Amino acid sequence: MIHPLLPNQLQKTQETMRMAAEFILRPISRKYDKAEHEPPVEMEQLNQAAAAQKETGMGDDSVKSMDLKGRNLWAVISLEQMCWGDVGLFLARPGTGLGNAAISAVGNPDQKNKWGKRWASMAITEPGAGSDSKNISTAAVLDGDEWVINGEKIYVTDGDRCDCVVVWATLNKAMGKTAIRSFIVEKGTPGFSVARLEKKLGIRASDTATLIFDNCRIPRENLLGGKEEVEMDADAAKKSFGGAMQTFDNTRPMVAGMAIGLGQAALDMTRALLAEEGYEDNFGASMGQQTAIQYELEMLEAELEAARLLVYKSAWMMDNKMPNSKEASMGKAKAGRIGNRISLKCVEICSMQGFSEDHLLEKFSRDSKILDIFEGTQQIQQLIVARQVLNKSSADLK
Amino acid sequence: MQDYKTEHPFDIAMSEEQQMTWDMLRKFAETEMRPIARDAEAAGRPSDELLGKMKNLDLISLGIPEAYGGMEIAQDATSQALALEALAYGDLSLAMSLSLPMLTAKIITEHGSEEQKNELLKQYSDGSMFHVGLGINNSSIMGNASHSSVSVDESGEELMLNGTKTGIAFAEEATSFLISATSESGESNLYVLDKDTEGLEITSKEFMGLKGLPLSEINLSNCKIKTSQKLGGHNYSINFQELLDSSRIGMSAMALGVCQAVLDYVVPYTNERVAFDEPISNRQSVAFLVADMAIEIEAMRLMVYKAAALKDIGADFHKQASLTHRFAAHHGMKIGTDGVQLLGGHGFTHEHPVELWYRNLRAIGIFEAGAGV
Repeated sequence: MIHPLLPNQLQKTQETMRMAAEFILRPISRKYDKAEHEPPVEMEQLNQAAAAQKETGMGDDSVKSMDLKGRNLWAVISLEQMCWGDVGLFLARPGTGLGNAAISAVGNPDQKNKWGKRWASMAITEPGAGSDSKNISTAAVLDGDEWVINGEKIYVTDGDRCDCVVVWATLNKAMGKTAIRSFIVEKGTPGFSVARLEKKLGIRASDTATLIFDNCRIPRENLLGGKEEVEMDADAAKKSFGGAMQTFDNTRPMVAGMAIGLGQAALDMTRALLAEEGYEDNFGASMGQQTAIQYELEMLEAELEAARLLVYKSAWMMDNKMPNSKEASMGKAKAGRIGNRISLKCVEICSMQGFSEDHLLEKFSRDSKILDIFEGTQQIQQLIVARQVLNKSSADLK
Repeated sequence: MQDYKTEHPFDIAMSEEQQMTWDMLRKFAETEMRPIARDAEAAGRPSDELLGKMKNLDLISLGIPEAYGGMEIAQDATSQALALEALAYGDLSLAMSLSLPMLTAKIITEHGSEEQKNELLKQYSDGSMFHVGLGINNSSIMGNASHSSVSVDESGEELMLNGTKTGIAFAEEATSFLISATSESGESNLYVLDKDTEGLEITSKEFMGLKGLPLSEINLSNCKIKTSQKLGGHNYSINFQELLDSSRIGMSAMALGVCQAVLDYVVPYTNERVAFDEPISNRQSVAFLVADMAIEIEAMRLMVYKAAALKDIGADFHKQASLTHRFAAHHGMKIGTDGVQLLGGHGFTHEHPVELWYRNLRAIGIFEAGAGV
C-alpha cells in the first residue's frame, strides 16, 4: 500500500524528541557554539531522556550508534528532531559515535561485548586521503600477537572525548583497497595521542580531532572483521572493502536525516521571525499573488519535503532488508545540498536579523555545510547514484 | 509537524492490483501512445484509432455511478496518480486527451445536480469523451487559478458571464462547457454552458506544447444562463481550492511520467554516444546531470504519493498538493531542459523526442485541471 505517511506511534517519538531538542539542546546551542572544545556536560540529560524513552518501549539508547535492528526509520525520525535542536550538540552526545556503528555492523560477539557499550569514534580520513578512502596510508603490521599501527588521522568526530576509536589502516598500501582493515584502539594505548582539535566553521560543540599513531601496539584480537592476510582472490577482496563501505549505506540515511532536521529548524525560525512582522504563508497561490518571501519559502519547503521523503524511503528500505545503496546516496545528496541551501537562504530572507548572532539562523547556516561533506560529499553521492543509474563501474565513471 | 493521524505503517510498495494496472497502462503508453506522439502533434489531435483504444480502457466510466451507466468502482487517489503517471510516460498530450474527460466526469459525479449528472454522465457512459469542455485556465497573467478570469453576475434572475478562458481541450467537439467563474463576492464555481449560448465564441489556439491536443480559447460576452446551470444547482458551492489541489496532484503525476520518459531516454543515449573516444556518460559533467535527474524524479514520485495518500486518508492536503505541484513544475522544467542538453544538437531536432518533452513539461505548473485524482 502506498502510504508514505508517519503512523501515530512514530509521530509520538517525533514529539518526544522535539521536546528534548527544544528544552535541552536549544537553550545551550549558542553557549557551546561559542565555547568550542568545551564538553557539553548538559548532554547527559539527553541520555537520561533517551533511557526513559527506552523504558516506555519505544526508545533506543543507541540512536547515534545506529545499532537499530530494523528500526532505521525510527532512528532517522528521532535524530531529525534532535538535529532540529542542534546538530553539533547531537554529535557531541556522550556515549556513542560512528565507530559504534562499525562495531555493531562487523564486530564479532566478543568485540561487541567488550566495546559495544563504549564510546567509539571512527578514524578514516587522513591529510592525504579524504573521499578516496581506499588510498589511506596509516599502516598496520602484525608483530607476534600484536598489531603495530603507524599513521595520522584527521577530522575524527568525538576523537578526543571517546573511549576508543575504530581506525582504518592498510596491511599493504600497494595492494589498494583489498588490504584495508579496521582496528579498535583504546584511549591511553601507548603510541596513540590526540595531536590537536580543529577550529571549525560550524558544529563547534562537537570535537574534531587529529590522532597520531606512533608505533602504537594493540592486541591481535582488535582487528575488526576481515582476515589478517590480504586476500588474493579478487572477489573475496572486493567483498571485504565493499563490506566496510556498506556501513555507509546504513549511516547515510542518518546523516541525511540530520540535514532535514536542520533545514526544518531554519524554516521554522525564519517563519517565527517573519511572523513578528506580520508574515503569513500563501501556499499554492500564483506568482502574481505571492510575495518573493512566500514564493521562496514555499519552494524551499517543497525541496525539504522532497529530501525528507527520499531519506525516509532509504531508511524504510533498510528496515525491509532491501539493498538501498542508490537510495541512501540519493537521500544524502538531496538532503545535504538542500539543508545547506535552506539555511543560507533563510539568513538572506531574514536579512541582518538572519546574519546576527542574536538568533540561531546564522549558526544553522554554518552547521549545515558539514552535512553536505561528511559521510560522503555531495559529489561522492552523485557519483554513486550516477554509476548505478548508468550501470557504470568505478573504472569507467571516475 | 504532521497534522494527520494514521495507524498504518510507512509504506511505498504498490498493491498487487495497482501494480497490475500500472504495468498494463505503462505498456499501453509505450506501445500505443509513444510511437504516434509526433503524428498527433502534426495532426493537432489524437487519431480516432487511439481514441477508440483509450475509450476501451474504461477509465472514464470507472468512477461513474451505475445509475448513470458507469461501473461505480471507487478509486483511491494514489491509484489514480499511478495511472496518470503510467499514461503520461507515453505522451503528455495523448495522456491528457484521456485524463481530461476522466477529470471532467469525476467533477460532474462529485458536484453535479441530479439533472446535470443525468444529462452529462450518461453521455460518458455511452462512449462520448469530449462533449463537455473543461474551462479552468485563465487568460489573464496576474490572476490566480482560484479566481477566474470569467466573472459571474448573480444579481439578476439569470446569471451573466463575462470574460475569457483559454486552454480548453476539444472545444470544437464539445456540446457544452464547464467553466469556472468568480462572483463579486470572490467565490468561484463551475457553470454548465451550452455551446450555442449567445455571446459564446470559440477560437482555436496554438501553444508551444501539448500540440497533440486541440486547444481553444473561449470568450464569453454577456452570456446569460439559468441559475440551475451552476454545477450542483443554484445553491451549491464548490470547494474550488480542493478541486484545484486534486488536479495539481494529477498534473504532478503526469509530470512524473514525462520526466521518467526523459530519464529512460538519456541513460542509453549517453551510454552509447561516444565523444573523445569514450561514452559521454563516462564524464562526471554528463553523469551528474543524469544522477540529479534520477534523484529529483524519485523525490517527485514520493511527493506525488504522499499528497495522494493524504487525500486518501481524508487529511488536509492543500499544502502537500501545493508543494508537490511547485516541485513538479520546477524540476519538470529542469529535467526537460537537461534532457535536450544531454543530447546536444541532436536533442534540438525532431529526430529525438526530448525537444517534445521539453515543450510539454513547460505546461506543468501552468496548465490547471488537466488531470485529477
